[in-house]
This record gives sequence, structure tokens and C-alpha cells, in this order.
Amino acid sequence: MNGVAKLFRSQVIGPLLALLLAVVIVSLTTNRFMTGQNLSNVMLQVSSVAIAAIGATLVILGGGIDLSSGAIVALTACVGAILIKTNGLPVWLGIALLLLLGAGLGFVNGFLSTYGRIPSFIVTLATMGVIRGLAFLITGGTPIMSVSKDLEPLFYGSFLGLPLPLIYVIVLYVLTFIFLRYTIAGRAIYAVGGNESAARLSGVRVNQTRLVTFVLAGTMSALAGVLTMARLNSGSPNYGVGTELQAIAAAVIGGASLAGGHGNIISTLFGALTVAVVQNGLNLNIVPAAWQDITLGAIIVLAVGLDMWRASISQRTSKIFDLFVPRRSPPKPASGERMQPER
Amino acid sequence: MMDTPTSPPLWELRDIKKSFYGTQALKGVSFTARRGEIHALLGENGSGKSTLIKCLAGVHQPDSGEMLLNGRPVTFHHPMEARAHGVATIFQEFSLVPTLTVAENIFLGRQPRRSTRLIDWDTMRVETARVLQPLEIQLDPEAIVKNLSVAEQQLVEIAKAISLESTLLIMDEPTAALGLAETERLLRLIKRLAAQGKAVVYISHRLDEVFEVADIVTVLKDGNRIATRPIHELKMGDVVKMMVGVDIEQHYPKIHHTNPTPCLEVEGLSTANGVHDVSFTINAGEVFGLGGMVGSGRTEIARALFGLDRWTAGKVRLFGREVQFKSPAEAINNGVGLIPENRKADGLFFNFEAPRNITISRLAEMLRGPFLNPMREMQAGQQYVSKLSITPTALEKSVKFLSGGNQQKVVIARWLFSQARLLILDEPTQGIDVGAKLDVYHVINELTGLGISILLISSDYPELLAMSDRVAVVRDGHILHIAEAGRLNEYELLAIASGAETGSQPPTAAG
Ligand SMILES: Nc1ncnc2c1ncn2[C@@H]1O[C@H](COP(=O)(O)OP(=O)(O)OP(=O)(O)O)[C@@H](O)[C@H]1O
Ligand SMILES: [Mg+2]
Repeated sequence: MNGVAKLFRSQVIGPLLALLLAVVIVSLTTNRFMTGQNLSNVMLQVSSVAIAAIGATLVILGGGIDLSSGAIVALTACVGAILIKTNGLPVWLGIALLLLLGAGLGFVNGFLSTYGRIPSFIVTLATMGVIRGLAFLITGGTPIMSVSKDLEPLFYGSFLGLPLPLIYVIVLYVLTFIFLRYTIAGRAIYAVGGNESAARLSGVRVNQTRLVTFVLAGTMSALAGVLTMARLNSGSPNYGVGTELQAIAAAVIGGASLAGGHGNIISTLFGALTVAVVQNGLNLNIVPAAWQDITLGAIIVLAVGLDMWRASISQRTSKIFDLFVPRRSPPKPASGERMQPER
Repeated sequence: MMDTPTSPPLWELRDIKKSFYGTQALKGVSFTARRGEIHALLGENGSGKSTLIKCLAGVHQPDSGEMLLNGRPVTFHHPMEARAHGVATIFQEFSLVPTLTVAENIFLGRQPRRSTRLIDWDTMRVETARVLQPLEIQLDPEAIVKNLSVAEQQLVEIAKAISLESTLLIMDEPTAALGLAETERLLRLIKRLAAQGKAVVYISHRLDEVFEVADIVTVLKDGNRIATRPIHELKMGDVVKMMVGVDIEQHYPKIHHTNPTPCLEVEGLSTANGVHDVSFTINAGEVFGLGGMVGSGRTEIARALFGLDRWTAGKVRLFGREVQFKSPAEAINNGVGLIPENRKADGLFFNFEAPRNITISRLAEMLRGPFLNPMREMQAGQQYVSKLSITPTALEKSVKFLSGGNQQKVVIARWLFSQARLLILDEPTQGIDVGAKLDVYHVINELTGLGISILLISSDYPELLAMSDRVAVVRDGHILHIAEAGRLNEYELLAIASGAETGSQPPTAAG
């Protein structure tokens, strides 16, 4: 069987069904969901989380976890606002520095949790506090508005008729797909997440590999921060609250196992879309913010639960897949016989 | 307590069928276990032995067929139910909790309690010592299991099963990780338990053990029962023929390929992890065996040479060039490969199928431009799967679903693929069937024929002596004696290794 088709059969189908289910339920509860305007809104809203979810997936595949992505979103938006508005840096230079900042923060996370041997959960819980604290510190707690008129086109512009954020998401997911599936470094991530000890004995540089996942995750979070800054043309220390949870939820709904080594990036995209659709549904139904958090929490628990029962579920979902794309198997003679008319 | 011919057998399994997603592991197998009888269950890797005993142990539910206990049908939905019916099982896969102590593991789920309902630690310690005593092992009940060697863990596993109140004791390859001395003790213990009236089901790929201990033999092949016969009616060759389906003329097809170019020269190597002043030379194309008791430091020597432990003293030259490995990656880049003793924990990627398990050690070979080529990987996978006759399902399914022998072959395939020039094999035939062992021996010959050198660690002394060119005897992380393999026999080796004798000649590194 072709590798990509097999991937679809076994792993992507579940998250895709989850997304379809979310779409069906939400469109049943409100008729404002299935409108062109709303759908393109969802598309724009999802872009930041979808990009942060790439980082979350990479880290989770390597057997770690990154709780600091929301805080990085806030800090990059604030630093960016200051660099561009206060210091007058050109937008492109500001963004380049922000990506470096994200990579650097990811490096700190990765370094402490690999070479420093502190569990990544603890490291990133700590840096999450520190980084958001820094965002408050440098802004004095007040948002910086109207950063630059050059920012908004980066978000609201379009290319070949497609909104730019959609293009960013597609490009990044395609690159990540290629990275994970077709490069040595990507394979090393799966190996380290699958069996650290075997990976080391096979010559994979375990710490270095994990470090890479954190650096990439930091960079993705910074990108998500840049997008948020461009969308709102401002920087605020309150940006990105809960992004880490949504990103992790996207990865987990996409079937990434928190034990490491299992998951793929396409499923994460469906996971991110599911999260966005559910949130949009709650917004449209004017559900209070508190309930939105509660719902997200419940979805995460459900997704992790599904992950635990995955073996049996993937069996079943692949049967469902068979309904649409039947496996090439020889026709059963038994049923053929029954079809014979009685003599 | 022996069953009389008139009374029903303790356990009778009738026409058991079991399949896993399309693989029919058991195609209607019948099996009996009688009181006081040691019943050996034999068959190639993947023939369904473990699946059959897992039905008895309540891990799997048969798809059809009956299980009769004293003539009455029973069904188990959970291993605890089987245990309550007197079935104690040592599974092929370890079922110990690595972070708990020996005592906690042995009494897991049934800790002795004080009147206050709190755990009675003193009783637990004393009881643990009592349970370990017949196995004659020196183990601290307080030791954390993950710090023990594989063999010691296996012994804890055995102690745990034996300490249960049981009428049927099932052992799935209990000796795979054990040395000669531990094995002999275990076999004596099994005979004693049978004499006390226990029914014993014994699975092993080591036929000499089976002939030493079993009363009756059942052979499985591809999920079918080939035969059930009293052991005295059989010769080893018959059993092998039933298992494999063909005659195996020679068990150890050794071909000598040593040539006088030194490959690895080790001088006075010591590590912080218990290797003391070890010196030896391995020539190109030579199989250099390391013999010794379990825990004698053989694995530590291997770890040192693979860059896993820091060297505190000594020199190592590979093909005349002095080397210093600080990580396995460096060792691998210099052409060294290691097949670890514990394939589950250190060898296999359960999230990969066979091809990706195999290519991981030399992924650079799979590149086309900057990208991995999955087609090439599949081809490499196919090539090695057929070369080592690994089951073809390995190409599609996670290695998690393979039988023990097939799993081991996947790990071996990885290093064949990596083109290592010095290969360290730590118990490479542990838990694999006669046919697969022969494959491994042929592979060893093939490798040495290409000039690849092999450092072979094996607790199977006949194998070690037959397949090595020279053997070094290790005790306490130190080499006591090096001899031509042909000049040493099992008992001399054991005597030196156990310290009963210190070697008739002074240690020498010369071949
Ligand atoms: N949980 C499982 N899921 C899928 N297939 C399985 C499972 N357990 C066993 N099998 C398959 O059933 C067959 C019999 O396996 P089993 O483990 O019983 O063999 P075995 O005789 O114990 O082999 P070995 O000597 O290697 O231990 C194999 O083809 C194996 O791949
Ligand atoms: Mg087995």
C-alpha cells in the first residue's frame, strides 16, 4: 500500500471524522455557522493556534511537552510592538528578530529539559510564567496600540485570491510534513519519542534532537505571536492566553500520543480546525468565556481518553474508511454463491 | 499427587482457536497439563506458544474451544481470575514494575498487611528472602528492579510466580536471559515443584534443557499442534524436525574466517562502571567470545566499547588508529554496532514497522538528495526481512506485534544494514528458535567472511564455544583467561567463570 494512503487509512481518518462531527454539531445549533463570512473568520482565527500546534506536535512527538507557547505569543507581540513602534525598526527586521527571540526561548526550554535533565513539563511551566511576566514588565501592563500601518496587510492581505494566513498555514504544514516524513532529523524525532534508549544505541543524538523540537516550537510560537500582532496591529501581554492548551489539544485530537513517537502533522491540522470550530460554535451561541474553557478542557480529556483506546478505535475507523475507499481484496466466493438463483 | 489415568487432568484445553486482526495464531490446539508433570511446549518463533498459554493465563480469550479445569469448563476474562484458579504465569515479556523494589514487585497487589491495614514491610522483607532462597540468588529485597541486570530481573519474575499459591505453573522462556548456573538451579527447582504435585508448562528454545527437565512434549507449528509425545520416545533431532519441518544436520555451522590483521586492540581498559584493566585483541573476521556468569561484567565491557560508559584508563585502537568514544554515535560512525541484551527496552521502536527499525542506524544511506526515500527504505526492509527470514507482516505492522524471535531478528537486521565492521552481539540468540538461531549463525559466518569482527556475549555456553574463535572468561569486570574456543569445554568455562578455578594458563591476549 502506498505510504501516504496508509497514513490516511490509519491515522488521519479519526481526526477528520472529529472535525466533521464538530462541523455538523455546530451547524445544527446555529445557522450563522455555515456562512461564507463566518467560515473565513474561523479560518483567520485558527491560523495562530494552527501554527503554534505545529510546535506542540513536534515537541510531543519527541516525548516532551511545551506549555510556554502562549506566553511566547504574548512576549513576541509586545517586543515586536516596541521594536517597530517605539524604536522604529522596519517591519521585516522586527519580525526577523522576533523569530530569533522565539528560537532562543525554545532553546532555553530545550536546553534545560535535555542537558539540564529537568522534565519539560516543569521547565516550560516555569518559563511560561517567566516569559509572560517579562511581557508585562516591558509593557508596564498596558497594550501598545497602532504599531504600524505596514503590519495589517501581512494578515489581511491576500495572494492569488487566498487570504494570507491560510497560505502561511498551508506552507508551514507542508514544510513540516516534509520535514517529519522525509528528513533524517524528522525521523530522529519519532525515534527518540518511540524509544529513547534504542534511539541512543542506534546513534541518534537524543538531546540534540529534542533540543531541535523545542527550538522549532519556540519559533512557531513566535510566528503565531507575529500573526496576532499583525491581526490586531498591537501588542499586549494578555495575548495568547490559553494558546498552549489549544495547541496541545490540536495535537492530541490529531492523535499525537503524549508518550511520544506517535502522531502526524496533517492530523494536527484537523485537530486545530476542530478546536477552532468548537470555539466558534460556542461564540456564535454566546456561551460565556468560562464555559468555553471548560469545554476545551473536556475536549482535551476526551481526546487523551481516545488516545488511550486508540488501538481499537483506529481499527474501527479504518473500517469506516474502507466504506469509502474499499481495500482491494478478492471478492468472496461465498457471497457469490448465495447470489445464485435457486434452481 | 500424580494424576491417575482415571481422574481428569488438571487442565485440558480443547480445540483452542485464536486470531489477532487477521493473523490466526492458534488454529485449533488441544493441550493437557497434569499434576506432577512437566509439559514442554515447543515450536518456532510465532508458532503460537505464548498465545496458547496466555489463554490459560486469562490474558487472551480464545475465539472458540474449551478450557476444562478438573473436567469443568471455565472462562477467564482477566489474569486475576486465572490466578484465583491456581494458574501462576511467568510471561515472556517482563511484568515487573521497574521503579519498585524486588520485594514490592514480588508482593505486588497482595502485600502482607498489619492489623492496622497498613503494609507490613518486615514480613514482606522476610517473605521475599524466603521466596528467593530456593533460587539461590543473592538479591537485596530492597533493590530497585530497574537497576538489576536482565538475568536478575528474570529471577525476580520467577520468584514472583513461584511464591503464588498455584496448582499450575506456566513458564514462557524463563531461561532465555539466564546463564548456565542459574538455569541449572531453576531446572532443579522446577523438578522439585513437579514432584510436589504442581503441573508445569515449560516453554523454551533451548532443547537441551527441555530434554533435561520435561516429561512430555507438545510441538506447535503455525498455530497447529504437530504432536504430543512423552519425551523418552523422542530424540532431539526428531523435535527439531517437527518444529522446523526439515532436518537440521548441524547445530553450529561454524566457519573460521580469522585473518591476522588486528581489528580492535584494547589495552588496560577500565571504566567507572565496573570494567577493570581489560586487555584483548580481536582480529579481522574473528568471533571473540566473552563468557562468564551473569553479572560478571561482560555487558559492561560491551557498553564501554560502544561509548556508553566513560573510560577511566586504557587505550583502544580500531584498525590501528587510536579511538576514544564518548557516545554511541561516535562508535557507530567508526563502524561499531551493538545488539543490546534487552531488545524490548533498548532495541526496538514499537512506533515503527520493521523497515524503519532497520534503517535507523544508517539513515544517510536512504537519502536521495536531502530527502529520505520511503521506497528505498521499503526495499531495504524487504531485503533484510527475507535475508533473515523475518515474517513478511513485519513490513507493514509495528514490531510490537511480532513474536520474540522475529523482533530479535529485526534488531540484528539493523546492524547488518549499518555495515558495522565490529559488531558487539550481547545475547543475540536469546529467545529465538532453532531455525532462527541457525540463521543468526549463518549471518555470523557471512559477516566474518566479509572481514567483520564480532564480539559475542552469550550465556549459552555450547553456542559461545562453538561459534567463537577465541573465548575470554570474565569475572568481576576483569578478563581471567583467554583461550582458543576449541581448547575449552563448558565445564572448564563454568569453573573458571564461577571462581572455582582460575585458569590453567596465565591470561594472554595472543590468539
Ligand atoms: N497481541 C497480538 N496482536 C497481533 N498479533 C499477535 C499478538 N500476539 C501474537 N500475535 C501473532 O500471533 C502469532 C503467534 O505469536 P506467539 O507470540 O504466540 O508466538 P510464540 O510461539 O510465542 O513465538 P516466540 O517463540 O517468538 O515467543 C504471531 O504471528 C504473532 O505475530
Ligand atoms: Mg512466545
